[in-house]
Amino acid sequence: MNEFVEECRSEWKRLGVPDPVAGEMAADLAADLEEAEAEGASAEDVLGTGAFDARSFAAAWAAERGVVRRPRSGLPRRSRVPAAIATFALIIAIVGAVLVIAASPAAPRVSAFPAAPPNVALTRVAPTPAPTDGAIAVWVVAPEDLLGDTLPTNDSGVDTRTVGSVLLIVGLAGFVPLTLFWLWVGSGSRPRRRPAY
Amino acid sequence: MAVGEGRRSQLLRGVLDLCLLAVMEEGPAYGYEMTKRLRARGLSIVGEGSIYPLLGRLEREGLVETHRAASDGGPPRKYYRPSREGRRALAAGIAEWRAARDALDGVLGLAEAEVAP
Repeated sequence: MNEFVEECRSEWKRLGVPDPVAGEMAADLAADLEEAEAEGASAEDVLGTGAFDARSFAAAWAAERGVVRRPRSGLPRRSRVPAAIATFALIIAIVGAVLVIAASPAAPRVSAFPAAPPNVALTRVAPTPAPTDGAIAVWVVAPEDLLGDTLPTNDSGVDTRTVGSVLLIVGLAGFVPLTLFWLWVGSGSRPRRRPAY
Repeated sequence: MAVGEGRRSQLLRGVLDLCLLAVMEEGPAYGYEMTKRLRARGLSIVGEGSIYPLLGRLEREGLVETHRAASDGGPPRKYYRPSREGRRALAAGIAEWRAARDALDGVLGLAEAEVAP
């Protein structure tokens, strides 16, 4: 029976039940079990079905007494707002970096577009004849033409491809801690299983 | 678990807190002592779960008062007795139980008469 009490003790410790309270519960339980044993009664006579699962029994008792330390519930809603903004900014940065790299002079210049060409200077390299309506043709197009003045140029001497690559690496590296953060927040707000007794 | 045992278990779960309040109303009692009092009245908790979580809930809800005192030849025990609020809850629970029992007797008593030879 001591083994049962010890198992309860370790469960209370795991649940964060304060030591004095756990000690009191363990002492009461041990005294009751000893008295029952002395009278020839079994643990089941004292604990009912709880005698078969010490951990569930201990968890149920502590929960009903209200002495289980509150589970970590992640960050409060107010603290999640900056994290959400950071995530959004990170996504924008990564998308922007990809576009910058794609638009840099060293990037491949072949893209596929619907038969109706975009409103930029294009050179069709597909073999003649021209595609019929609804068909797909391959056009050679410079990304700078597509994105117009929104992309940086090399006029200042800055290597936009390098800048884009650095941004992309930083952005992707930032995704790891952010993913861990959101996983942590998610696991903290998950409802806990209530033990049966 | 047989159908009859499962029903008995469910019925008892609904009123076990009242039973505990009732036996401790006779006089302050510690956990195992309450089990013995219940058993003396023909109510075994074997298979019904433990009374300890229920005692914990009654304590948390302020329906019982507790104190520590030496037991007969044993270590100090935690004694429970109904608080004022607990006695009120017991009275209300007994009234509910009697009303439910009478209504069920009205239904099940008739059914029993119909199947009697």
